[in-house]
Amino acid sequence: MSTLSSHLLDEIKELPAKYPQPRSAVMPALDLAQEELGHLTPEAMSEVAGALQLDPGYVEGVATFYTLFHLQPVGRHRFYICTNLSCMLRGAEDIVDRVKGAIGVREPGEVSKDGLFSYEEVECLGACEYAPVCRLDHRYEVDLTRAKIDLLVNNRRLPRKHIKSRPAADVTTPRPLPGSAGPPRTRGGRQSKPAPRRPARPPKESDG
Amino acid sequence: MAEKRGTVGGPVLTEWFGKAKLHTLDVYESLGGYSALRKVVTEMTAAQVIDEVKMSGLRGRGGADFPTATKWSFVPKDHPGPKYIVVNADESEPGSAKDRYLLENSPHMLIEGAAIATFAIGGHQAWIYIRGEYDLPYEMLRDAIAEAHTKGYLGDHPFGSDYPLDVRLYRGHGAYICGEETALLESLEGKRAQPRSRPPFPAVKGAWGLPTAVNNVETLATVPWIMRHGGPEYAKRGTEKAKGTRIVTVSGDVQKPGNYEIEIGVTYRHIIEELAGGARPGHKIKVFWPGGSSAKVLPGSMLDTSTDLDGLKALGTMGGSGGIIVMDDSHCVVKAAARLLRFYAHESCGKCTPCRVGSNWAVRTYERILANEGSETELGLLERVADGLQNGRCLCGLGDAAGWVIESTMRHFRGEYEEHCLRHTCSVGAVLAHA
Repeated sequence: MSTLSSHLLDEIKELPAKYPQPRSAVMPALDLAQEELGHLTPEAMSEVAGALQLDPGYVEGVATFYTLFHLQPVGRHRFYICTNLSCMLRGAEDIVDRVKGAIGVREPGEVSKDGLFSYEEVECLGACEYAPVCRLDHRYEVDLTRAKIDLLVNNRRLPRKHIKSRPAADVTTPRPLPGSAGPPRTRGGRQSKPAPRRPARPPKESDG
Repeated sequence: MAEKRGTVGGPVLTEWFGKAKLHTLDVYESLGGYSALRKVVTEMTAAQVIDEVKMSGLRGRGGADFPTATKWSFVPKDHPGPKYIVVNADESEPGSAKDRYLLENSPHMLIEGAAIATFAIGGHQAWIYIRGEYDLPYEMLRDAIAEAHTKGYLGDHPFGSDYPLDVRLYRGHGAYICGEETALLESLEGKRAQPRSRPPFPAVKGAWGLPTAVNNVETLATVPWIMRHGGPEYAKRGTEKAKGTRIVTVSGDVQKPGNYEIEIGVTYRHIIEELAGGARPGHKIKVFWPGGSSAKVLPGSMLDTSTDLDGLKALGTMGGSGGIIVMDDSHCVVKAAARLLRFYAHESCGKCTPCRVGSNWAVRTYERILANEGSETELGLLERVADGLQNGRCLCGLGDAAGWVIESTMRHFRGEYEEHCLRHTCSVGAVLAHA
């Protein structure tokens, strides 16, 4: 029994044909795996490697290089808080403190007890005119204040349908824009599979 | 997203910004969009396109200022196989948000520019490498490319011609180093993003080992305007050698942060005080980064410096990616430099020793200084580490940029460093905790 679902592995096997050389499929494939599992486990990375006919060590080497790949469990909603200079000048440190307090964690990468939240301090998000900013659920939240953080957290604690139905994992399948012409991306029965319950993450010394 | 902050109805790039639904093909086309690409593929030769851009004097807006037409002309014309345009949409220079601003306003502008560039180098495919955090711009580009295909402006027969053109998207996954063109190419090929040794240059051996020109978003977004109005018209703007307009992002301690289209040659005083509203009441501008965090700082007394690219080079700094970070007298320069060094150390790809070791060494030194454990030793150490990081010792400029932050802040604000290291005080300590 593999970690990744068989239809996902089939989808991954089709990726290399989309690029001039098959190796370019490694990051899109890792994305799909992370989307299904929430984070990349060693088994998942091995299975991606198998599907792409690459060395598992190579795939892991790619996954560890990029900050948007998570090798540890993460919260369903992740605050990527910019703390670089433009945001720092406008109070990013205070925003980080508030997020920690609001979701009840002590350090970056720690998952809140309810599994809903985690946060990371990230480098410049490229929205400096709105500082301080963070990325949350595939959107930028701008002009952050303590009150705004509380609102963002509380809204996600409410048992709302649209939040429940959101995929648990990260990145590449953004929601279509309102009124967009493109067909909605569906992936077989994967969305109907309940999100795996993730154990709270043990405290780590550093999340550099 | 919140309301857009920046120029609308500006002279070139932002000419149509502010028009409702500009991101749709219909609106973009109704204003004149895609007329340039139509003309290029149905009436022009690649050499004519390059000539027109050469006459405009357009230089790359990603930070290196390299003449765009020259870059395209380096791609061998007689190469038999595929050739690529790769668009650097991995905007992640601290202080720079202008590419995001362009994409969120007018994704078709980039697609049209990328298609024209692809035609100019004799290629058929452009790849847009966009940073993973840019969800909304990615979605807008994805939908815009689909629209262009549906309309027949991209595909096997754009505008009824027999010259296939396609624009593809590739998402990055969080690495500042991917803004460096050879690291970006490595990433596009599915590898860890570590810069390549040059030569060979990308024009000869670029994406997937094939001839490639890597261009910044803003550079390519300017191209349709140049093709519509002519190179000489564009060249009427700007300074003697640095032609045209550009978008600068102003952030930090100003009253109206935003993205502003400026004619190259205006002063920083004009941008910071008039466009961005100047410092908050009761505060003075202490220092600014004129072109992203990697540009050497200038003190507030030099606000009358021109944005002329060559003038900035003569001062030892650069216009870079156009990200202007402004800091007023309520913030500590040492703390700001320490934060930036943490950034460079985190983003160092680890390939070259001076950058990997030097940036982390600097971080530890700054940590000691900010913990009031500094002394004369730390001052000397920072100088030595800054020197070791600079002067092109590495494959790319990341290490140099880290060194410039230390060197330029120490040069202009030696007093603040001495306060911290020798007297363990901070003259702006009262606001260090971000009241």
